[in-house]
Amino acid sequence: MEIYPPIEPHASGMLDVGDGNEIYWEVCGNPDGKPAVFLHGGPGGGLMPVHRQLFDPDAYRIVLFDQRNCGRSTPHVRAEGVSLEHNTTWHLVQDMELLREHLGIDTWQVFGGSWGSTLALAYAQTHPHRVTELILRGIFTMRESELRWEPARDLLPDHWERFTEGVKGDVIADYRRRFADPDPSVRLAAARAWARWEMVICNLIPDLSPMDDEFALSFALIESHYVVNRGFLEEGQLIRDVGRIRHIPAVIVQGRYDLATPIATAWDLHRAWPEADFRIVEGAGHSGGEPAVAAELVAATDRFR
Amino acid sequence: MSLYPPIEPYEHGMLDVGDGNQIYWEVCGNPDGKPAVMLHGGPGSGCSAKHRRQWDPSAYRIVLFDQRNCGRSRPHAGDPLVSLKANTTWHLVRDMELLREHLGIDTWQVFGGSWGSALALAYAQTHPDRVTELILRGIFTLRPAELRWFYQEGASFLFPDLWESYLAPIPEEERGDLIAAFARRLESKDDRVRVAAARAWAQWEAATITLYPDPEHVAEYGEEGKAVSFARIENHYFVNGGFFEPGQLIRDVDRIRHIPAVIVQGRYDACTPMATAWDLHRAWPEAEFHIVDDAGHAFTEPGTLARLVAATDAFAVPKG
Repeated sequence: MEIYPPIEPHASGMLDVGDGNEIYWEVCGNPDGKPAVFLHGGPGGGLMPVHRQLFDPDAYRIVLFDQRNCGRSTPHVRAEGVSLEHNTTWHLVQDMELLREHLGIDTWQVFGGSWGSTLALAYAQTHPHRVTELILRGIFTMRESELRWEPARDLLPDHWERFTEGVKGDVIADYRRRFADPDPSVRLAAARAWARWEMVICNLIPDLSPMDDEFALSFALIESHYVVNRGFLEEGQLIRDVGRIRHIPAVIVQGRYDLATPIATAWDLHRAWPEADFRIVEGAGHSGGEPAVAAELVAATDRFR
Repeated sequence: MSLYPPIEPYEHGMLDVGDGNQIYWEVCGNPDGKPAVMLHGGPGSGCSAKHRRQWDPSAYRIVLFDQRNCGRSRPHAGDPLVSLKANTTWHLVRDMELLREHLGIDTWQVFGGSWGSALALAYAQTHPDRVTELILRGIFTLRPAELRWFYQEGASFLFPDLWESYLAPIPEEERGDLIAAFARRLESKDDRVRVAAARAWAQWEAATITLYPDPEHVAEYGEEGKAVSFARIENHYFVNGGFFEPGQLIRDVDRIRHIPAVIVQGRYDACTPMATAWDLHRAWPEAEFHIVDDAGHAFTEPGTLARLVAATDAFAVPKG
């Protein structure tokens, strides 16, 4: 099963969510269709047009938005003097509620991969009665053990060597120092290195062509902000609180060779939530763009349409 | 490039290597060809008919043998009464020398994957003057961190489902040192205990060495005789750190840096992760180093096989 053809939004706008933030949102597909919301990864990854294509546009009213400070949301983290003080998991959960109400949606399907799966779990555990189904890929719950890049360092020693070249002490702390450097060229070089490592761990066979600097910066700055704050979650919270959402129909899709969010986390979630339909994609990495992973995701949205 | 066609040995036999051991050997290909020796993995896997097909039979005199106590060598470790006391890396290195002399070979190409790469390095570092080239795949040097990765914590992150089956024979309170816990069960006098532990050990490996699952391979390692001999021999070596000083094989690379060599490593090798091949590459930059992007550990992964056969082809002496 392949993704749906490219599609343009029939509505879009900026929503004032407070704290000086406006988030970009768009709606694609059938205005009278079943509502679904797509949560992008990173955090800081922003939307890509391909995200619209994971749902049948005849059946779904597809809602997408750029999370705070990235993509087309403003202010962008790249701008001078932008603080991430008002950018936490719980701000994003609140933004989703504001957007849902703004669009006059009562309940919706929640779809998220990678960090999107983290946010989906956090949202659903906070507002379970608003969620019709959950579709989760590349499960990430920001536990301490998930933030050490194991086992990626053992399988990607060449890339790891490059990523940690010149690093003194703790890798994340060292990168955070560089991201805050007064010299923009130091900041940019560090963001590019961070984003490159992300590309390497996110794809079975990575495309290492240079990426957009704006993307690299928002990704590096926002993601590392969440990582050092452990996702603003208590250790193990999202798996601990699965009891709140076990009644919601759910599909979990996980690539076997996912080195960004290794399958160990998805397995723990599966053990805690045996009712959810658990699908391991053999020979696949992390990205929702891997064909076998995308096929499982589209099959899931199709089943729920 | 893939395997050469199926081939039968033109001669074979059993060689008495002492300590009551006889090792099975066979020779395929061209009797006047360039000598090459194949070192199988495990330790304890034995050679298969597929292993013969990694060399051009018109160019090579291909020597294969089953290491002590496995395959067609005798006595066989599938029998729990057979002791493994006289089965160490250094016995195997000596067996290779006896076999080389027995066959009247002066120097040979040494080819080994996984445990075979460790034995190849140990042999070459002991007898560098006997080795024309080294071809190594899925580099394994039995350092504590490498054993820990596969049997204690590491591969468990990638195969948490299969890991549950691996853990099943070991009670919670013994899981702090799984290799030792398996050692106790693999030497148990109780057949059920021994076989259950052997299957869990052997099938954990069989199920995790390919990028895509290979149920036939997993079934083969569930067969009782295979599982018990494989698990007993492997575990015996791993409990003993391969009979190496930690880090010895990479430390002593200088002894062999002058030997032409090719290293082939699968990027998604979950059994002997690339970190070891990378350390070897850093210590031995002269060796040709190939990462296969879409391969696990097994030599049968298409990209890996292509690299291995390309390497033996490149080293083949053209027939004049």
